[in-house]
Amino acid sequence: MDFTFSEEQEMFRAMFRDFSAKEVAPSAEEIDHEEKPPLEVLRKAANQGFLGATLPEDYFGAELDGVSYALLIETLAGDCLSTAVTLATHVSLVAMSILEHGTDAQKEQYLPLLASGEAIGAFALTEPDAGTDTTALQTRATPPTPPVGGGEEGGVVLDGVKTWVANGGIAGLFLVFAAAPGGITAFVIEKDTPGLTVGYREPTLGLRGVAINTLYLENCRVPAANRLGKEGEGGDIAQQALHRMGITLAAAGLGVAEAAIDAAAQFASERVQFGVPVAKKQAIQNYLADSLIEVEALRYLVYHGAWLVDQESDLTFDAAVVKAFAARVARSVTNRMLQVMGGYGYMEDYPMARKYRDARALGIIGGPTELQRVAVAQRIMASKDVEIVP
Amino acid sequence: MDFTFAPEHVALRRLVREFAENEVAPLAMEIDREGRVPFETLRKMAKIGLLGVCFPQKYGGMGAGETGYCILMEELGRVCTSTATNVGAHIGIGAMSVYLDGTEEQKQKYLMPLARGEKLAAFVLTEADAGSDAAAIRTCAVQDGNEWVLNGTKTFNTNGSFADIVTVMAVTDPTLGARGGMTAFIVEAGTPGFKVGTHENKMGIRGSSTAELIFEDVRVPHENVLGKVGEGFISFMKTLDVGRLTLGAACLGGAQAALEASVHWAKTRKQFGVALAHKQSVQWMIANMATEIEALRSLVYRVAWMVDTGQPFTQLAAMCKLYGSEVASRAIDVALQIHGGLGYTRDFPIERNFRDARISEIFEGTNEIQRIVIASNIFRQHGVRIRP
Amino acid sequence: MRIIVLVGRVLDPSGIVVNRRRGRIFINREEYLVNPADRCALEAALRIKDATGAEVVALPRGPLPDDDVLRQALAAGADRAVYLTGDGFKGADDAVMARVLAAAVERLGGADLVLAGATTLDTRQGQLGPRLAEALGWPQIVGAWQVEATDGKVQAVLQAPTPRVGGDRVLAPGRRWGKTPPPRVGGDRHQPWSPLPPPPPPRVGGDRGGGYATVETDLPAVVTVLPGALKPRYPDGARLINIYRAEDAVERWDVADLVEADALKPLLERRGQDFPPERERGVRVSGTPEEMAQAVADALRQQVRG
Repeated sequence: MDFTFSEEQEMFRAMFRDFSAKEVAPSAEEIDHEEKPPLEVLRKAANQGFLGATLPEDYFGAELDGVSYALLIETLAGDCLSTAVTLATHVSLVAMSILEHGTDAQKEQYLPLLASGEAIGAFALTEPDAGTDTTALQTRATPPTPPVGGGEEGGVVLDGVKTWVANGGIAGLFLVFAAAPGGITAFVIEKDTPGLTVGYREPTLGLRGVAINTLYLENCRVPAANRLGKEGEGGDIAQQALHRMGITLAAAGLGVAEAAIDAAAQFASERVQFGVPVAKKQAIQNYLADSLIEVEALRYLVYHGAWLVDQESDLTFDAAVVKAFAARVARSVTNRMLQVMGGYGYMEDYPMARKYRDARALGIIGGPTELQRVAVAQRIMASKDVEIVP
Repeated sequence: MDFTFAPEHVALRRLVREFAENEVAPLAMEIDREGRVPFETLRKMAKIGLLGVCFPQKYGGMGAGETGYCILMEELGRVCTSTATNVGAHIGIGAMSVYLDGTEEQKQKYLMPLARGEKLAAFVLTEADAGSDAAAIRTCAVQDGNEWVLNGTKTFNTNGSFADIVTVMAVTDPTLGARGGMTAFIVEAGTPGFKVGTHENKMGIRGSSTAELIFEDVRVPHENVLGKVGEGFISFMKTLDVGRLTLGAACLGGAQAALEASVHWAKTRKQFGVALAHKQSVQWMIANMATEIEALRSLVYRVAWMVDTGQPFTQLAAMCKLYGSEVASRAIDVALQIHGGLGYTRDFPIERNFRDARISEIFEGTNEIQRIVIASNIFRQHGVRIRP
Repeated sequence: MRIIVLVGRVLDPSGIVVNRRRGRIFINREEYLVNPADRCALEAALRIKDATGAEVVALPRGPLPDDDVLRQALAAGADRAVYLTGDGFKGADDAVMARVLAAAVERLGGADLVLAGATTLDTRQGQLGPRLAEALGWPQIVGAWQVEATDGKVQAVLQAPTPRVGGDRVLAPGRRWGKTPPPRVGGDRHQPWSPLPPPPPPRVGGDRGGGYATVETDLPAVVTVLPGALKPRYPDGARLINIYRAEDAVERWDVADLVEADALKPLLERRGQDFPPERERGVRVSGTPEEMAQAVADALRQQVRG
């Protein structure tokens, strides 16, 4: 097992750090305080090919391997978790789903739009009564009475409400999951489709730069060509998307935790109390050390998870482990590092408060930790023939 | 051992609970969003004597003792941490410093209006280079005839931007440091040279005021020396000690609110066909939360009883603050997790409580300082001197 | 002027669950409140006291296990409170209380006004006020929204029942809640004071959907006050502490000194409890308006005939 980065990965990492320091870090405070989605940053990211990070070059993607993509998200997250989550939603949830499950025509139509940033992708799965339990969808996809768009299958009419749609407010393409007669089905819907309305933007504790909206589908006619995968395959598509996203969010958690340690270490080395820098106090050293121990454990878990994505294996178990651990580490590290900064850690003038608020989301978005534990328990009991249900 | 509350404390809790739910809670979200101090609430509290809850009736207070004060802080902390912070800074360290160290004249002149809530108080200590290391303050006071002249800048001060009466710690002999070199002064708002500087932009407790206070040649009469010249540090430590207990009580209230919200949500919200209450993950979270809360409750009211009966309480008060802040943080974190997305949206109070709770491990003496206090007390009993 | 206020306690309804299927009422949390309507009556009395310097005396509206409710009345501002106790008193119903309280009023040396809550929160009983008025031989005003008393007269504004628009405070009109009801801020504890809107000035001819009337009578009189009519004041803290520390703050009278033993026999005998019958399922009609009208007329005719 070779645990070193390849030369190419090292080069990418340097490039990502450069980009993040120049383009992301200066805007991070404004993105959070003004709750402004990072459109300018995304534009610049598109120029670098980041919006098609893992897409093949045929579709104008950067064809990054899994680990490099994780490095990208990790680096961006260190400066602005909102930007990282926006990008992760766009790539891991939407673009990769179309790549994995789309027909050639769909891939040719949509992937270049996503890779160039002409359209940002949003993921619409959650509903008011379907949060953790995403199988209980109430958004309906019913065949219309006169066929729409011609062809044998006449498309569908969608009716329902989707909540917590990440990127909803800035998206040009929506990946929407609905209950069709044959089961949960995925659809790609363009922004200005009649019957699709982007509504209420969720005011959040953190990730305030991510546009999280409610989506209303009222008699929304969608042609057959927009169905992603087969009817009834939507559940699997959603699960695979969430597994990929779980590993991506873990990379983001790694990034924010590392950045928190750096910031707190810098503070501890400069802040003098009782005649010495507080870094000289053993309690502070312990907080830093415990945090770094957790981060190092997370680091290789994340890179391994990212490598697994490229192996195209079933990610159910591994994604759960990585995501659950990352959520725990990101939260405990940002909490400890805020404590190191004392009163200054509580002031919004410094980035630490923002990191703390942002990191808290990682235990909830992309499937809460409780759900990840179910997946791990299922793996343990599978060989003992005991069925575990959430 | 009688573990029941006295009838007057039961009655006081009922009064404060009703007041908190009807007058304080409805404003909690608004004052957080607008970042304003709810003066109208403080006036209503003054009207029924709550702003002097622990002070003797002969000084205009309610005479309910430290236990009564903990009850007030617990019930306020249950509905709005910002309001609890405003009240705690006024009663628990502002007015309290005058009560603990003031002369009879000072108590008549300053404590009475504070206890009646006619005036509001603040306690001014922290500076940019003197946070946990309170002895490193540099604000100085120089004697000039029958007056003292104060110069310096104080940071992160609660209530100071609007208080009528503030007690300020200043250095009167730089060569002596904490032992003999510091003095506490009572300064009235409006004294020339006493200015309010920048207001801090905090993550939470946004309904309370945290500001910089500037003293430029502020002249204070000698009668306003609180306690003895040179003994300021000791008197401030006394005040902070007792303030810690009541912060623990406010944290108890906050944790209790987290528990109530979690139980309510667990029985209401259905996923996977059943209410969350039927999931062991949730049951474990709630059981753990409830257990910690009971432990904290016992600790807080036992220490309140020790204060009210004149027993030493420094170490235990530090434990109240340390444990209380951690219990509250853990409880609200779990409550946020139980509420899922709704715990993360600003449309619902959980995230506000989450932001508010975080400060309790930092202010009023960081939990690191609390641990140092506890460890010092323990080792001193065995003859070992611990330095921070 | 002397005003008597009747105060009692009720079970907090938020601790009660009615299970029709099992035919039982479960008391999950046994906690008591002062009857909200009684608090409004006390507030009305205190406002008259503020305006005229009247003496306010609190009496219990029923048997109580302890004098706490009366202490609360004292703390809020009542001048005197009397706790009633004695053999055979525990099971007293409103008929008994009317006799006992009439005797208590006489023992106090009379009064000018009796104020009581119009209904009790738990049993929804409204008869104590009228029964006491009859026992005293005084005029009664039932269901007052506002009360004023001066110069030997009492004026009250009466309100006809208006449906209350209530429910949870919706925190964000724009968001969707789905089937789960929105989380309620502050949990589900019963609020002692339910904020109903204040009445507009009374108009001759009444209002749409409700009505107001002003009535007046000579004192002495009995007036019952609606729950939610007035916001009860918070007791002064120091007064509260002192009253609870004074063991003898509430006077204690034995009912044997007020009435004969057979006056304590209750009028009601409890024979059991049952639930009202289930509502029958209705019949759904459809079709053109003419068809639907015919179907309804046929169904009604059927019901009347048998």
